[in-house]
Amino acid sequence: MAERIGVYICHCGTNIAGTVDVAEVSRWAGLLPNVVVSRDYKFMCSNPGQELIEKDIRELGLNRVVVASCSPHLHEATFRKACARAGLNPYLFEMANIREQVSWVTTDKGEATPKAKALVAAAVYRVAYQQPLEALRVPIDPHVLIVGGGIAGIQAALEIADSGYHVYMVEREPSIGGHMAQLDKTFPTLDCSACILTPKMVSVGTHKNITLFTWSEVEKVEGYVGNFTVTIRKRARYVDQSICTGCGICQQKCPKKVIDEVFEAGLGYRKAVYTPFPQAVPNHPVIDRENCIFFARGTCKACEKFCPTGAIKFDQQDEILTVKAGNIILATGYDLFDARRIPQYGYGRLANVFSSLEFERLSNAAGPTSGHIVLRDGVTVPQSVGIIHCVGSRDHNYNPYCSAICCMQSLKFAHLVKEHTGATVYNFYIDIRTPGKGYDEFYQRLLEEGTLFVRGKVAEVTDAARLPGEEGKLIIQVEDTLIGKQRRIPVDMVILSAGLQPRHDAQEVARKFGISCSADGWFIEKHPKLDPVATMTDGVFIAGCAQGPKDIPASVAQGSAAAARVLSLIGQGEVEIEAATAIVDEVSCVGCQECIASCPYQAIEFLEAQGKAHVIEALCKGCGTCVGTCLSKSISLKHFTDDQLIAEMTGAMWTMKQLARAELEVA
Amino acid sequence: MAEPKIISFLCNWCSYRGADTAGLARLQYPPNVKIIRVPCSGRVSPELVLRTFREGADGVLVLGCHIGDCHYSTGNHRTAKRLPILIKLLEYTGIEPQRLRVDWVSAAEGQRFATIIREFTETIRALPPFTEAMQWTRD
Amino acid sequence: MDARLTALRQAMTQILPDVAGVIGLKCGPAGSNAPHLFQKERPEELADLALWPKYPVPDTLRLLQKAHPEAKLAIICRGCEERGLVEMAKHTQVNLDNVTMIGLACTPEEATFCRCARPYTVQAQITVGERTAGVPDPVTDDFAAKGQEEKLAFWKEQFLHCIKCYGCRNICPQCFCNVCTLEDEKWVSTGWLPMPLPPMYHLVRAMHMTAKCVACRECEETCPAGIPMAIHYRLIARDVQEMFDYETGASLAEKPPQLLVLAEGEFERTGLPH
Repeated sequence: MAERIGVYICHCGTNIAGTVDVAEVSRWAGLLPNVVVSRDYKFMCSNPGQELIEKDIRELGLNRVVVASCSPHLHEATFRKACARAGLNPYLFEMANIREQVSWVTTDKGEATPKAKALVAAAVYRVAYQQPLEALRVPIDPHVLIVGGGIAGIQAALEIADSGYHVYMVEREPSIGGHMAQLDKTFPTLDCSACILTPKMVSVGTHKNITLFTWSEVEKVEGYVGNFTVTIRKRARYVDQSICTGCGICQQKCPKKVIDEVFEAGLGYRKAVYTPFPQAVPNHPVIDRENCIFFARGTCKACEKFCPTGAIKFDQQDEILTVKAGNIILATGYDLFDARRIPQYGYGRLANVFSSLEFERLSNAAGPTSGHIVLRDGVTVPQSVGIIHCVGSRDHNYNPYCSAICCMQSLKFAHLVKEHTGATVYNFYIDIRTPGKGYDEFYQRLLEEGTLFVRGKVAEVTDAARLPGEEGKLIIQVEDTLIGKQRRIPVDMVILSAGLQPRHDAQEVARKFGISCSADGWFIEKHPKLDPVATMTDGVFIAGCAQGPKDIPASVAQGSAAAARVLSLIGQGEVEIEAATAIVDEVSCVGCQECIASCPYQAIEFLEAQGKAHVIEALCKGCGTCVGTCLSKSISLKHFTDDQLIAEMTGAMWTMKQLARAELEVA
Repeated sequence: MAEPKIISFLCNWCSYRGADTAGLARLQYPPNVKIIRVPCSGRVSPELVLRTFREGADGVLVLGCHIGDCHYSTGNHRTAKRLPILIKLLEYTGIEPQRLRVDWVSAAEGQRFATIIREFTETIRALPPFTEAMQWTRD
Repeated sequence: MDARLTALRQAMTQILPDVAGVIGLKCGPAGSNAPHLFQKERPEELADLALWPKYPVPDTLRLLQKAHPEAKLAIICRGCEERGLVEMAKHTQVNLDNVTMIGLACTPEEATFCRCARPYTVQAQITVGERTAGVPDPVTDDFAAKGQEEKLAFWKEQFLHCIKCYGCRNICPQCFCNVCTLEDEKWVSTGWLPMPLPPMYHLVRAMHMTAKCVACRECEETCPAGIPMAIHYRLIARDVQEMFDYETGASLAEKPPQLLVLAEGEFERTGLPH
């Protein structure tokens, strides 16, 4: 083979050079077959480093390049671009990972250097078999699908719709608004949550560029970036949205009261026909089929009788429709940690232990108690309240991560309790986490208000009185670590700042959209620092708490960020998709269709006339499962051919054998 | 005793990144395993594994994403079905089945990756070199 | 005289007017049997209809259909051959729509010879011969009981005699690839005898027999060196049955399991970490 390979060994400062004898690896690489030049340099990814490569391509006529440095996940794109600038097809480049996979994991120089040599040889042997590839370009459909109508989804929708592009928003509840609609006041400014949210909700509801599907779910997603086909199930509301005026008479007249487990967190009631809250967008009710008297027994129909426009339609069916979109943003939010999982805190057993969402509803003037903070009996105002931080968070037994908002939320609760009731407030914390703008100032304010802070993880909340003054109270048992003493603190009410956790069906949703979840269950971002709203799947973005616990400003920022990424793609008009796709050798293919059955994307079709398999390039994601399946090796994966992988393997094996022999000779 | 020569096929999205995570955390492990990157563990055909043994590898390690987390949806399902048959076949041929290991490592599992490398290296070290085991003479 | 021959001739005489031909075995001049297309124009050939030694006919149907895709045909097939036809149909190599299968039940002697678990057809429209029960496979069982070193020594001895004649591949009713992996230097080194170890030819072939082997034992019968390579294929077939609840050739509707997504409980049965 007449390849001319240039090899570049990076020192990466001392990151590699400290453990790998880079000069020796470079010398040794220079002796490998087809290597025309071999250099080592301090920082290959720097401008001078890249220029070294470009200069050699031009002046030495290199037609293959190998860089031994860090992980390709960091700099493969960098060096590919450098090659492209010098006129060399970027797929004629290969990297050897001698930092994350050699120098950082091997202390002994005597062991690291031979390992680096083996990986360099592997790359040199492999690159000789690599072929130039051109990436396929596909047009981007400017429509955008946003799943989730909480604040992050709303923000993203408005940014995109205002730019002039059309958004389909799918929300599984009857109204958009998400958890933010349930909140009373938002920290640290103590703005009324509904007041700042509802104008945005109304903008979404009335925007000419937004089609809102509420009480709906995405059933199926097919296609690829720029070209998704999404199947949506619009569940039957039993209300004709085109004629409902939102007058609310049906809800007034409905005789069936149901405990509202969702919006009122189980503290209040709604009717069987209901809108979740008065400012709902759309302001069209849904009939809860499971609790509706008509669906159960065939009688009543009060709503239908009294509806002035005849919008109640008991025979309505679920509607299945498909939309086309070029990009998708998932902003599906969070579920609250179920505090019943911590039995020693008594939630669900002791009446006056409340969860954070329950408290939000109590404190809310539009809530089930009209904003009066009272005990479960609905009447008694508490004189002392204990607020427990980190319930289910930062806990190896439940969720190991910090839920980001609970400290601020707990401080907010302390303030609201004081304001509404004048009660004595205790906050039981491990740390006070107040990183945002105005957050620590808010904490200082709480200190000035006379909130009592106890540093300690609460062991137990009990109603078993032991000491005088504990009768009829909830006793919080905690070690006050700042004074090093156990304390029993009697209070009337306990509020548990329960953590945030991924939606119960996050895994299923992830699979539907072709993205992944982390070990904790949150959607995984493309890069934790540098790319928090993109995912590994091109065209699918994430925003808000679906990506991990965060406060409202951060959710809004991510909503805008995801929108910006989408608008950038729409602006480009076209996107490059994976060049390393599979291809069938039509001469040897015998049409057995095993590849077709094993493709996770149904990206291979059977051509009846010829009796052969054929890869639909735009659908192929380049996984190579078909190649692993084919018995006659009639399908190959570009850039990961058998020749290339065998070369890579033999390069490593040959080096290991050679170096082992050399060692024996010396010994 | 010669150092074991081990080839590992890691999937680009999970296990290869898991290896990088181990590197980022500076976890130390023996240098015997040489990593080859594939897009998905599903790319690894039984022939490729056998060819690796033919080349003289003492052990072959195939690491994919956990089932359900494959970047390519269900590529690793096929890995999970194909390669156990190959492991059995090695056993039926009188080759130690532990020379071929298939396991699952996610991008965040640096610790798990390092542990698997250490474990597998020791497992292979305890076996005779593959080429030695395969040699035979006519009596 | 084999009573089945009479019954077969009767069935063939009845069906010959309606089909382009019936595929069966004809006794040749030297006494060996070969696949033959019996046609209504030459009824005298029925006298030479043969049964034993058997020879696999699925590939004959495949080749005939390539040239004459629309032809209505009939084929005499034993249990293993029916399984072969079903698997070939799954792989788009034959089209059974226009094919009438004449199922031939094997005798107990024939079943024992092949160590066959199901020596009869289950889908054939016409059947000839009395069904006999499946028999155990002591050769495979005995082998499976050997220890690791014994197993290796066994195969080392066996493969000493392999001359890479490719007979096992050529005769296999499931081998239909245009270009064979076993002839590719990348996987199987050519020109070396005795074959170097690991025995790449046999290991690759065995992997290819996953969810494919129909247990016809033609490979062993063809092998000039008498190597019992079916042991590998049978052991793998048992694993496929156990892990994936799949019997090769039993049902046209079932796709080969290794191509599909993991079904309930399969992952646990693979023995991989889970």
